[in-house]
Amino acid sequence: MTEDAFDDSAAVDTAQANSPQWARHAALAGLSALLAACAAPGARYGRGAALQRPSQHYTDASTPEAAARFLLQAQFSASDAEIAAVQKQGYADWLAQQFDAPLGQTGWDWLNARGYGTIANDTRYFDHFYPGDYMIWNQLMASPDPVRKRLALALSEFFVVSLTGLDLAWRSHVMAHYWDTVVQHAVGNFRDLLEDVTLNPAMGHYLNTKGNQKENPATGRVPDENYAREVMQLFSIGLHQLNPDGTEKVNAAGARLETYVQNDVVQLARVFTGYDFDQRQNVVTPFDPEGKRKVGNTNFAKLRMSQTANRHSDLPVQFLGTSIPVNTPGPQALKLALDTLFNHPNVGPFFGRQMIQRLVTSNPSPAYVARVSAAFADNGAGVRGDLRAVFAAILLDDEARSPAGLQQAQFGRLREPMLRFVQWGRTFGATSAQGSWKIGDLSNPATQLGQSPLRPPSVFNFFRPGYVPPSTQMATTGAVAPEFQIVTESSVAGYLNFMQNVIRNGIYVNDPDLPNNVSNSKNPKNGYDIKASYTPELALATDAKALVARMNLLLCAGQLPAALQGQMVTALNATPLTAASPPDKRLDRVAAAVFLAMAAPQYLVQK
Amino acid sequence: MDLMQLSPHSRRAFLKRAGQLALSGTALPMAMNLAALGEAAAAGANDYKALVCVFLYGGNDYANTVVTYDEPSYAQYATVRGGAGEAGGGIAIARADLERTLLKPRTPLAGGRQYALHPSMTGLADLFNAGKAAVQFNVGPLVVPLTRDQYNCPDRKTYPLPPKLFSHNDQQSIWQSSSPEGSTVGWGGHLGDMAMASNQKSLFTCVSVTGNAVFLSGDAALQYQVSTGGAVRVRGATDGAVYGSAAVKNLLSSMISQPSSHMLENEYVRITQRAREAEVHITSALVESQSGPTGSPLATEFPAQNPLADQLKMVARLIKGRSVLGSKRQVFLVSLGGFDLHDNLIAQQPVLLGRVSDAMAAFYKATEEMGLSDSVTSFTASDFGRTLTSNGDGSDHGWGGHHVVVGGAVKGQAFYGAPPPVSVGNTGAAQDQWHVGQGRLLPSTSVDQYAATLARWFGVGAKDMHTILPNLRHFGDMAKRPDYPVNLGFLG
Repeated sequence: MTEDAFDDSAAVDTAQANSPQWARHAALAGLSALLAACAAPGARYGRGAALQRPSQHYTDASTPEAAARFLLQAQFSASDAEIAAVQKQGYADWLAQQFDAPLGQTGWDWLNARGYGTIANDTRYFDHFYPGDYMIWNQLMASPDPVRKRLALALSEFFVVSLTGLDLAWRSHVMAHYWDTVVQHAVGNFRDLLEDVTLNPAMGHYLNTKGNQKENPATGRVPDENYAREVMQLFSIGLHQLNPDGTEKVNAAGARLETYVQNDVVQLARVFTGYDFDQRQNVVTPFDPEGKRKVGNTNFAKLRMSQTANRHSDLPVQFLGTSIPVNTPGPQALKLALDTLFNHPNVGPFFGRQMIQRLVTSNPSPAYVARVSAAFADNGAGVRGDLRAVFAAILLDDEARSPAGLQQAQFGRLREPMLRFVQWGRTFGATSAQGSWKIGDLSNPATQLGQSPLRPPSVFNFFRPGYVPPSTQMATTGAVAPEFQIVTESSVAGYLNFMQNVIRNGIYVNDPDLPNNVSNSKNPKNGYDIKASYTPELALATDAKALVARMNLLLCAGQLPAALQGQMVTALNATPLTAASPPDKRLDRVAAAVFLAMAAPQYLVQK
Repeated sequence: MDLMQLSPHSRRAFLKRAGQLALSGTALPMAMNLAALGEAAAAGANDYKALVCVFLYGGNDYANTVVTYDEPSYAQYATVRGGAGEAGGGIAIARADLERTLLKPRTPLAGGRQYALHPSMTGLADLFNAGKAAVQFNVGPLVVPLTRDQYNCPDRKTYPLPPKLFSHNDQQSIWQSSSPEGSTVGWGGHLGDMAMASNQKSLFTCVSVTGNAVFLSGDAALQYQVSTGGAVRVRGATDGAVYGSAAVKNLLSSMISQPSSHMLENEYVRITQRAREAEVHITSALVESQSGPTGSPLATEFPAQNPLADQLKMVARLIKGRSVLGSKRQVFLVSLGGFDLHDNLIAQQPVLLGRVSDAMAAFYKATEEMGLSDSVTSFTASDFGRTLTSNGDGSDHGWGGHHVVVGGAVKGQAFYGAPPPVSVGNTGAAQDQWHVGQGRLLPSTSVDQYAATLARWFGVGAKDMHTILPNLRHFGDMAKRPDYPVNLGFLG
């Protein structure tokens, strides 16, 4: 949206304008007075102007395909109504409205609503991973705030905690609260997110800040270095000094400059000592018939880790040029350390480039990274780390929006398998008939997706931002393709086989009417509980051409070549279908259209 | 001094990529071949060699894997690690628990030094004592030989360090390819480059039964990935119909293999093509050699509930099917994760090392069953070793570590390299010179030496060795460093 467009279309929903969150946002942008003056009814939401930058030339979706393309970068899927809304409002305004949308149900509340907080000997939910999987799939497939969830998923691949590594009581609740924390800050500030991630029990367990104690010269014990290293290498500044455009700084001899050395790690590790789960609200319940085995409650999982002064290192800390004096109390030391990391010039380009890779393209131009870095450094109102500004800068940038990208042989990214599956579910109205959403860990590449949300194999995520697939044109041209790190001869076949069944039949679920899983269940409700409705598609089924056009728009943002669309129409018409054909034949045709589209290389690479 | 010599890679990469074929054997334009191949042709169907890399992801704690056992050393180890087990409150292993896995070398170590494997590693300890396994002390990435003073010296021109020490992803990459993350050519892949021509189907030269790893990618050789259940067939493209429609099946089959002008699309298509073509061969090899009229299944039992054993079992099955595939020289990669034990070292390492030992011992037995124990060598590798000091209930990222080599060709029941002093001191005393703080071992053997010893056995000639291992020129007689030999001697 241009400034002119703002003048004749801006409108403010006064009820929302009174909310403290919005008031703060508007004040930061220096726009509250202007907005108050413009409070008139109108088609547009009116808050996109704070997100729009003068360098951005593509403010409106001129075609449904352009709107769908934007939607598929900003969230999981595109619907007819959303395409219409983006076309009507323009990109920035629509995005601002999503940023302001109320949070959907938290993962934590969903777990408890489904009974997973119950302590019982037969279910022992506190020892199981599966409620965590069901929780996250429900969040991704069904929540009413998909932009926020999409951004949170991208953030969960940067601030990585893997459910697979949470071998502790109430692991699913611990994971859910971590996810909820990321969701909460997804359109907040990076500094707040960094601190809440650092003190989160899931991260405390995953990277060992929980129970980390100060040095003990008598026994030779030293502070655990794990979090100190990874918070620098992965969650803030990375290994090499960067220019604002993401390129690496070099010295006179052309060598790259490291951001930190081992001694920085050793010293920073002292800051993260003295922390443990906050169990002050804990109540222990015996759960087996003899009352011998006990488990605590879930409260610790939702509280920041607590600091115990006499377990915290009193030693001074020198790292990255910051001095934390001897005997600095734990909370103050933490603040100094996190401020140092947050204000390091690397964070904008290091973080920004990876978010571009997650949402738009694997190989952004340095100029694109520089524009996103600038938004990280200053949201336009002098605030650093405003994630709304960062994500808007990514999604509204000309490099993301210009049709030129569609003509470039290198633009775009391989869609992650978990995103393809969520896109299928959301596009075609997948629901769980019993509401249990029993979709488990889909990490097996030979038989499933080879990727499952919140289940990366390590803190290095499913794939690395600098991954170059060997023996490819990418390797020859020096391009990266992170998502190819999970592409193998097994996974390409496994994905197609998995989707072939899911698209036509849905997800087979045992005991869909129960939260738990009963072994050797003869439950008559066992079956395909999670299925797509395909309501509009079934109505179109007899018109193969219209059906294929719909696949092309909703799944591929119009990026299927015309010739392939023609071949798809011919293949579908090879099995005649009339208004009198039985429903299963109608479903066969719809499923075939979906499957062919989702198998197309032009779909698999999002551009 | 360069860290890497990129020029030879780039040159060959330029020469070969255009004509790369998926399955057929295409020799490199340059005259690079395995030395033994001339006689190999004459030796006929039984001529076979394989290297199997067992990668322990996360950085294995060396000090509780190959554990110092003689009383003086053990006492120092137990002191540094804060006592044994939960009773001691530290991360040392109780000495009494090490008796069963005590290693009894043919020639005792100097100074009365003794070692045992972790108590859960009975299988590998037995293989060591039977002469079928060896231990290489203190291996890690080095650009040049280093003392601790040189490590601390700021003159990085004379004493270059491997980049990004102590970082998981980069040290994994350096172990596998001599370069940090982003590298695209590994030394296993280089061995594949030289071995491709000897295999009827060159694609099956470098086979991963775990995920993608740079180790198996060469200039020409590709990593082929297979699951523990074998190759995965694309049902929709090979069954008679998709949802009842042959036309849909036919279109699916053609479109997923259709080249594209978009780089990412086209590479995805190439992997799909390769997967489909290879699947037919792998499946028939497994069937013909193991369940067909002339085949027989492997009798060796692999342990259950052991992901590494599942992978090694597939390696054994592929080796059994080698004549169907026409394979004579192969490099395999398998892996186990979870070794990054900053916490719970005492509780979790036994499970992991037990899996490693059980799986590698079963695999060795399978090679004996196939009459190939002299032809298959497996070896361990890991991101890095860890600290000797305790952080409470675990250890932190280190550098050098001890590794195990298994096979009939191994000159077993022996230690190679120098046993490092048990020390965390920071003085100028001799015993403090082989760590760089907190017992992070300063490697006394480089990964390049380790790799060169394996490569030599595999058939790589002296000249080619320096092309595939760029830092090797700084070691051995050629570099006037006979104390860092390019042949460590653990293979015949």
